[in-house]
Parts: sequence; C-alpha cells; structure tokens
Amino acid sequence: MGRELPPVADQSRLFRRLRYTLFRNSLQVALHTGRLRLFSLIATSLLVAFFTFGVSLYLFNQLAVNNIPFKGAIVEALFDLLFFTLGMMLLFSTGIILYASLFTSPEARYLLATPARSDQIFVTKFQTAVAFSSWGFVILGVPIFVGYGLVSTVPWHFYALLPLFLLGYVLLPGSVSAAGCLLLVRYMPRNRKQFFTLLGLVLGAAMIYWLYQLGMGFRKSLISSGRELDDLIGQFDLMRSGLAPSHWMTRGVMAAARDELSGAFLPLAMVWSNGLLLFVVATWLAQRLYRPAYDRLSAFGRGKKVYGTSLLDRLLLGLVFYLDKPTQVLVLKDFRTFRRDPTQWAILLIFGGLMLLGASNFRQYYAGDFGVMDRYAISLMNLCGTSVLLCAGLSRFVFPLISLEGRKFWILGLTPISRDQILYGKFAFAATGSLVIAEFLILISDVLLTLPLTALLLHAVTVAAITIGLSALNVGLGAYLPNFRETDPSKIVVGFGGTVNMVVSLAFVVVVIGLMVVPFHTAQLAQRATEGAARVNLWVYVGIPLGALISGLAVVLALRAGIRALRTMEF
Amino acid sequence: MISIESVTKRYGAKVAVENLSLHIPAGELFAFLGPNGAGKTTTIKMLCGLLFPTAGTVRIGGFDVRTEGDHARALISYVPDQPFLYEKLTGREFLRFTADLYAMPPDKAARKIDEVIELFHLDEFVDDLTERYSHGMRQRTVFAAALVHEPQLLIADEPTVGLDPKSIRELKILLRRLASEGMTIFLSTHTLDIAQELADRIGILDRGRLLGCGTLAELRQQAAIDGNLEDLFLKITEEAAAEAVASNASP
Repeated sequence: MGRELPPVADQSRLFRRLRYTLFRNSLQVALHTGRLRLFSLIATSLLVAFFTFGVSLYLFNQLAVNNIPFKGAIVEALFDLLFFTLGMMLLFSTGIILYASLFTSPEARYLLATPARSDQIFVTKFQTAVAFSSWGFVILGVPIFVGYGLVSTVPWHFYALLPLFLLGYVLLPGSVSAAGCLLLVRYMPRNRKQFFTLLGLVLGAAMIYWLYQLGMGFRKSLISSGRELDDLIGQFDLMRSGLAPSHWMTRGVMAAARDELSGAFLPLAMVWSNGLLLFVVATWLAQRLYRPAYDRLSAFGRGKKVYGTSLLDRLLLGLVFYLDKPTQVLVLKDFRTFRRDPTQWAILLIFGGLMLLGASNFRQYYAGDFGVMDRYAISLMNLCGTSVLLCAGLSRFVFPLISLEGRKFWILGLTPISRDQILYGKFAFAATGSLVIAEFLILISDVLLTLPLTALLLHAVTVAAITIGLSALNVGLGAYLPNFRETDPSKIVVGFGGTVNMVVSLAFVVVVIGLMVVPFHTAQLAQRATEGAARVNLWVYVGIPLGALISGLAVVLALRAGIRALRTMEF
Repeated sequence: MISIESVTKRYGAKVAVENLSLHIPAGELFAFLGPNGAGKTTTIKMLCGLLFPTAGTVRIGGFDVRTEGDHARALISYVPDQPFLYEKLTGREFLRFTADLYAMPPDKAARKIDEVIELFHLDEFVDDLTERYSHGMRQRTVFAAALVHEPQLLIADEPTVGLDPKSIRELKILLRRLASEGMTIFLSTHTLDIAQELADRIGILDRGRLLGCGTLAELRQQAAIDGNLEDLFLKITEEAAAEAVASNASP
C-alpha cells in the first residue's frame, strides 16, 4: 500500500465559511418563520440592558450628588467586583458549553471521524462557546460603563476603548476554562467517586472560610460605627491584586475615564496579550489532548455502575409526601433525569452561587453605610434577579418536559396513570424543586442584607406566588404548545412555544412583583428620602392578595389548558 | 487497506475488544457481524480514530491511526448508524463542505456533487435545509457526502436502517460496484441477508473476540454446518456463549 500523503484543506478558512453559512441560514430562517422569537430575544435583551443602565445611572449619580468621600475607591472596588463576577460567570459557562460541544455533541463525533484537525475543531467550538456565554457580559457590562461615563463626563475615547477592553477580557476566562476542561477530561482520575469527594472537601473548606469571613464582617458592622472603608476594600484583596485580570480591566477603564491614555493602554495590552497567550496554550493543549480526552471519556460510564436511590431522592420524596404513590414515581423519574445530567444542575449552581456572592458583597457596601446602597433597593434587585433566574431555569428545564416525553409517551401512556396525573406530577416536581431553591436564595440574601422580618415574610410569600405560578405556566404551556420534532431541550426552548412561554412568564413576573412588593419598597425608599416624613402605611400590602390571585389564576388556567391539550393529544 | 494487529480495547475493567487481528485488502467488501455489545462499534470507532486501542495498532492505508490519524482519516468515509447533518445547512452546502474538508479541487468537487445528487436522487430536496429531511433523506444525503470525495475506505454501521426497499436495492448494487472499482468497504450489520449477498468475506465477533472470519464457504467448513449464514451465525455464537459459561463456571 502506497504512503502518498493526502491533500490538506485550508481548514481555518473552511470552518470560517461554515460558521458564516450557518449564521446566514439561521438568520434567514429567523426572519422568515421566527420573527416573534427574534423580536422577543432583542426586546428582552434591551429591557435588561436599559434596566441595568437605569440602575447604574442612578447609583453613580447618587455617588456624585452626595459628594461621598473616597468615591473613586468605591467605584474602583465596584468595577473590580463586577469584572471578577463576570469573569467567573464566563469561566464556568464557557467550560460547560465547551464540554458539551467537544465531548457529547453529535457534531464532535462527526468531525473527529474526518480529517478535521483537533485544534481546528477546538477553535471553532471555543469561538461559539465564548460568543454564547459572553452575551450576558455585553448586556450587563456595557450599560454599567455607559452609565458611569455619562455621570463622570468621560472623554470620547473611553467609549471607543470599552469594546476593546471587553472583547479582550472574554478571551482570558474562556481560555482558562477551555484548558481546564481539556485537562480535567484527559487526566480525571479513573475513580471519579474519590475525585469528587476530594473536590467536595476542598469546596467545603472554601465555603467554611467564606462563611467565617462573612460572620466576622457581620459582627464588625454591628459593633462599629459603620465607616470602615479599609475593611471594606480589604474584602476585595484577591480581586484587587496586581495579578488579577479583573483589576487590570478596572485600572485600564478608570484610566481611560480620567483621560490618561498611557495608563489605559498598558492594562489593555496586558489583557489582550495574556488572553491571546492563554488561547494559544489552550489550542496547543487541544492539539495534543482533545482526541485522547475523547477516547478516555468514552471509557467512562461503560463499567457496571449501579444507579440506585440516593439521599436526594428520599429528600424529594419527603417533600412531595402529599402526592399519591404513582405521581410520586413520576416526580422521582423527572428528578433523576435532572440530577444525573451535570450540564443541567451546574447552570443552577453557578447562577445561585453568583447571586449569593453578589448579595454578600452588596451587604458589605451597605454595612459600610455609604448611602448609595439602599438595602431595600438591593433586596428588590435580588428578588427581580431570582425571579428572572426562575423564569430562565423553568423555561429551560420544565417547559420541554412534555415535548421530550413525545416519542416515548407510549411508555407512560400504557401505564395505569391518567394523563392528568402525569401533568400534575410534572407541576409538583417543578413547583417543589424551584420553591426550595428560590426561597433559599432570597431568604439567605435578605438575611445577609439584615432586612426586617416584615420584608423577609413579604419576599417569601412573593417568591412562593411567583414560583407556583411560573411552574404551572411552564408545565401547562409545555403541554399546550409542545414540539415533538426536537429531542434537544435547548432547541425546544427557543422554538415558538418556548418563546411564547418566556414572554408570558416574564409578563407574569413583572405583574406579580409590581403588585406584591414594589409598593412596599417604594414606600421604604420614600421614607428614607424624606428622612421619615413619609410613612409606610398598610396600603402598601393591598397588592399581596391581588398578586396571589393572579398566581392562582395562572395555576388554574395554565394547567387546565395543558390537561385539555394532553387528553386529546396523539403521540 | 485495513490492518488491525493484536488490538485490545478496555473500558475500565471491561474488555470490549480482545486481541483482534484482521487484514482487509483494497477492493474487498467485508461484513462484520455480531450480537449486540459484541464490540463491532468499538472496532469501527478505532478504525475511524474516534477511539484508540488500549494495546495493538490499527493502520489504514499504511498510516497508523493513532500517530498519523489526520492522514489515515483522509482516506476514510464513515457512515454511522445515526447520521449527522448540520441542521441549518442545505444538503448541497453539506456536500460542498465535505468536499472542501477533503481538499478536493473546486471543479472536481462540483462535478462529483452533481454526480452523487443524481446517484442518490437528492435533487428534489438538496437545496432545502436538512432540518426538514426525513430519516431516509438524511441517510441518503450522508451516503452521498461519504462518497463525494472518493474515499479509499468506506465504513458503514447499519447502512440500510431507515431506507425504503428500492433505496436498499440501489445501495446494494452501488456497494458491489464500488468494491469492484477498488474501494474497500467495511460493513457492520445485523441484516444477515445483506452480508450473505454482498460480502467477499465475513467476520463474526462476539464478546470482543473474533470467532470466525472468511468466505461463506470457509465459515461453513469451520462450523461444520451446511446451512445459510443465519444457521452459521447462530451456531458459532451459541457455541462461544456455551464455552464462556463453561469457563466461568470452572474453578
């Protein structure tokens, strides 16, 4: 057999053209058949961006108007926190997306059986993953800096340099995450139980240290007068270190705002050069490790692993004790599917963790008594954030449940369980799980902000109304507008039914929050602004029964529509 | 064309393929048979470079799949049992992408694309996005893409799944013609009729071990039975299963 070398394609150009064609065709499809989806996507993004811009403008304005001492240091610490938090978000989300697209996607299997080079596949997937995970960075980051720029009347090149800073910064966490993902899959110990036990111990120790720090901070804020700027800034030692890329970003952006071009270019060069270097390192690792890692991962999960009942299963069954046995079995099935897929629960962990991190740091600002951070305003933001998180989480995990049953529905259809029961089971699963998570998040963040008991109770009731209503909407609309053609839940979510569900869910959240908690928070802010002249009276609680009624209506109407559709559905 | 030397593949403690040696010359149509979990797909994945052997070597066209994988894969086309297509590409765009990936000159690529479109009767839907294709249409498109760059080795896992009887008939004729023109074809199938009708040689794999390999006549001789391929297959695999039970039972 001859050993004549086969011709080699210009793969960079080829994959660039592939991405362009895929984008062009997707856009054409979106413009022809999915205008509602495209419009709602743009509208939602703009809504979030304008909301962030409004809040930022208000807060930066308060800093300027109240002539607060050391406001430069406060803004610097805020930017450090922002870049650090967004960097962590990029780190985790890029890692999860890359893992799924490099190791579990059918496209990866297809490309690995062709002459496509490992590094070329990696680069293509890396760019897609970073683009997907950094949209939040743009939507949240840009409005904050524009708000700061407008208040601080910065020179024009601040705005010109901003995209360069942001683009360069996404490379750093993305590359670290990509390299980590490859190394982890390639060299993860065969005994995964030992590995995850060790990882759990390390994370547990870090959590205990963090709680200790929080406890110390809490004690200080109770016993001191409250103006401990040094202590406050000390909380950000890691983010403010000269080695932290988040601090390079802060230094560069602040220098650009002060019209110090040389001071801006050095950090910008550091961000880009380090980001590109890390990207090259990650690509080099991919060239050597991607195929062996894929091979190694294939060897996992082939052993005789016995999956059985876990403590979490028993905990969930305890929480749904009020259901009959067959419905409990259905709930358990959905829960097991969820907990055995790390790409699903990892997203919840990341958002939950980031929210707690944000709440704890906001609390430090409040403890510092800088005036700009009102605890009621912050807690309202937390509540809105948790509700949007619930909206996104339930849309992603609960809405597709009925669609995913589609091709396998005959299994459930042949059992002696009515279709109504199947739907109630999914509702119980969604409502129970999300209620526990949402109440935990909101109550912990409220306690960190030292809110009074009235506010805690109000938030708990509101979150319950939102959670139960959203669960019913997602389950009901999931049955009313199913998509049996798709097997990928993420594609079901962005389809017509998923888009309608998202829009209805967001509208529901806005109405319920507007009725149940906004009057209370507005009254608190007014009281503070008038130094006690305006009082908080009982009228602020009038919206609570209205909000509960809307939540109840959402449950009844959505589930009724879903049940009717499911009863007549042919699979 | 294919040279598998003493290959073993382990998934942790489980042995998926054990000490497999197999040599398939150019132009041969080889059928790989075996019950579920026998190790057929693992072997195919090692041929394509998706998996690496724990021990032994796999060579395609003289190139070691582990150390010279890019060159080896340039000679191969793999049609899996669950075909992949980019949902937001048309069939024609996918064929073009495949031709470019294998570095075909543009003129030749255009000619071959037209040829495979005609061969697999894709003309009615080739300019639609593949997300609208039925399973049979997808399977035909994937086969067209597999042949567009004129591979030296075609590996197909259950190639007739999802095809209608007419398409199956046409595919069988095509595979025989390609083999007679010099293409090596490695088929993994449960459909014994296809193996009996088409294959030059047949390999029977069970529990990772090659139980028999040869022409139908050679297999009959080995099994000391004068039946069709189904009788042969059942006798060989049942004997191996009985041996495995006996060896497990003995202290």
